[in-house]
Amino acid sequence: MKKFTKAALAAAVSVFMLVGCSNQEAANNEGSTGEKVTLTVWHNWTGQDAKSVTMRKLLADFQTAHPEVTLEDEGLPTDGLKTRLRTVAAADEMPDLFVMWPDAMTKEFQKGDLLQPINEFLDSKPEWRDNFIPNALDGYTIDDNIYSVPMNLAPTSFIFYNKLLFDQYKVAIPKTWDELMTAIDTFNKNDIIPIALGNKTNWVAQSTIFSTLADRVTGSDWFLKAVNQDGAKFTDPEFVKALTVLQDLGKAKAFQDGFNGIDETQMMQLYFQGKSAMVIDGGWALANLVSNAPKEVLDNTHITIIPSITGGKGDAGSTAGVVGTGLGISKKLTGAKKDAAMELLYALSGPDGQQATLDSSTLISYNLELDPSKANPLFVELHELMKNVKISPVYDAKLSSAAVEVTNNGLQELLMGGKPEDIAKKIQDAQAKALGK
Amino acid sequence: MNTLRSRRFIIMGLLPAMLIYALFVFVPVIWSAYYGFFNWSGIGASSFIGLDNYVEIVHDPIFWRALKNNFIFVGAAVLGQVPLALILAILLSKNNFLQRFLRSAIFLPMVLSTVVIGMIWQYIYHPQIGILNFFLDTLGLESWKLQWLSDGKIAIFALIPPLIWSFVGLYLIIFMSALQNIPGEIHDAAQLDGATGLRKLASISLPMIWGTVQVALVLCISGSLKSFDLVYIMTKGGPAHATELLATYMYNSTFTSYRYGFGSAISTTIVLISLILIGSSQWITSRKPKQ
Repeated sequence: MKKFTKAALAAAVSVFMLVGCSNQEAANNEGSTGEKVTLTVWHNWTGQDAKSVTMRKLLADFQTAHPEVTLEDEGLPTDGLKTRLRTVAAADEMPDLFVMWPDAMTKEFQKGDLLQPINEFLDSKPEWRDNFIPNALDGYTIDDNIYSVPMNLAPTSFIFYNKLLFDQYKVAIPKTWDELMTAIDTFNKNDIIPIALGNKTNWVAQSTIFSTLADRVTGSDWFLKAVNQDGAKFTDPEFVKALTVLQDLGKAKAFQDGFNGIDETQMMQLYFQGKSAMVIDGGWALANLVSNAPKEVLDNTHITIIPSITGGKGDAGSTAGVVGTGLGISKKLTGAKKDAAMELLYALSGPDGQQATLDSSTLISYNLELDPSKANPLFVELHELMKNVKISPVYDAKLSSAAVEVTNNGLQELLMGGKPEDIAKKIQDAQAKALGK
Repeated sequence: MNTLRSRRFIIMGLLPAMLIYALFVFVPVIWSAYYGFFNWSGIGASSFIGLDNYVEIVHDPIFWRALKNNFIFVGAAVLGQVPLALILAILLSKNNFLQRFLRSAIFLPMVLSTVVIGMIWQYIYHPQIGILNFFLDTLGLESWKLQWLSDGKIAIFALIPPLIWSFVGLYLIIFMSALQNIPGEIHDAAQLDGATGLRKLASISLPMIWGTVQVALVLCISGSLKSFDLVYIMTKGGPAHATELLATYMYNSTFTSYRYGFGSAISTTIVLISLILIGSSQWITSRKPKQ
């Protein structure tokens, strides 16, 4: 026992010594606010898709234009970035700038006192500030403080459909729920998968299908009230109805067998192979389609939104979506380092950055015209569609993390035959608990 | 004097390893146990809630399902991997080309990354283009076709073949080396006494390698309690928690729901369960009279 105490004591001492070291280093770093500054940037632009390549080029251009700044950028896949940001947030060791998500994540980081408001910088460039689409900054605004601006726009819910298959079986592009059901029926009779779905990573059904479907049934106002547990609950009949509609869709065999066992990539494969007539995915799927789909599938692919639902309270001309990721700036930055960080923010999400993003076939939350001759026709179609479509809230952006996890698992259960009422109750309990109500 | 000096030397030699071990094993375990008493989202303030996390764990049906699944894994590993490896080790003990080839083939999954194994089996089980369902079709066994990974009732069992497949090579090597260490004279003596086949296996080979079998069992139990990667890649604990293991449950609670306090409490529970299992297995084996 004595030996153990000694060992523990020694361990504790060495821990303190290590901690001491790192504190000292940090202090030294902050002291050097001379001309040369180093900025650490964490992002998720790791892929070979047009957007990632563009964003990395913007970073490189910034580096060339600002020799006094040393950029240390680190790219991580999206899920990894989210987890890692959480981990460093717990240790209060945020990188100087980082890609972050609006709403839930921004709120949690702000609550942890990790973010720096950018109001002053934003107000110094009004022509930039005023050019964002309506409500674009809401997800980054807490108590009149703005913590970032979106670098893109991410509608999470579009139906990509193969026109060739619709023509072949004389099916109308569904505008109403009944038409969708007829389409599902016809395709099933002809051994075509109506809608490909890959819900193993279980946010897919929630983000791409259910968020829009539920909004059609309940309306956005009800949902936002339920999120705040203020006058609405997830056990309300509206929400149970929304769950039932999704379950009925599953019962009508809208999705192929085993959809809970394959992932989003395999889901797109089914569509690429022409095995499915439709696939429901976010705007991000477009880049994948353009670069990976076989030509005859790509040329026949068109985009629409989830059809209207009879008796629903929601706006039938909307689709779920979030304004895209923005760059968060660490609270700890001061002086020259802070100025450099603001410059980088402007380089990536200012007018030039937005233009570059749009040119890489990515939707943006900023008013710019698209040059149709430069872009892929499918992207032009999407861009045109978005002009008439409103954005409604996405479940995983608004709900607490714990309730999101319960919802995602609940939807899997629902599609396997679980009772809508039970699932509604679990979601209600999780959200109420997370809010401490 | 001499023993004192050598003891001091031993302590000096062990100290760095002990320190590193304490720093990276004991300290985190203790910290994690400490966080288990808090309601903490990982960011910002935490509040002390005593044993509430543990109370919630005990009342959480997902925890019990995860524990049950973990025991299914332990059972499958102990009853599947170890006997299978033993049989293979006995069958493949000759040194000709075919057997050498088979041995390498069985060992191959050990050097593959779990991600690769997960991907391979995902495509074997794929509901539309999977080899398994295709194979059943060709044999005219359409009614046996199942949605292997997406049916909540069978998904956990569908994970067992990849689990066994990926680890059987390790135990095969362990058993083969144990079998080769049995002195040739004993085999000769057994032959003189007329013991062959099963009789020789039961009376000579098995008792001679029993110690190794016990070690393999301990490795097997602790390995299956720690299972995480294969399940995380193939099903992520889904659909709807059907294949949740203690480790995936802990990971999802901590890094998906961002409930660090609750996740820490689960980790501590896993440590306790493992300690109890290992303790009782040690107790059972040490009580066995030595030959």
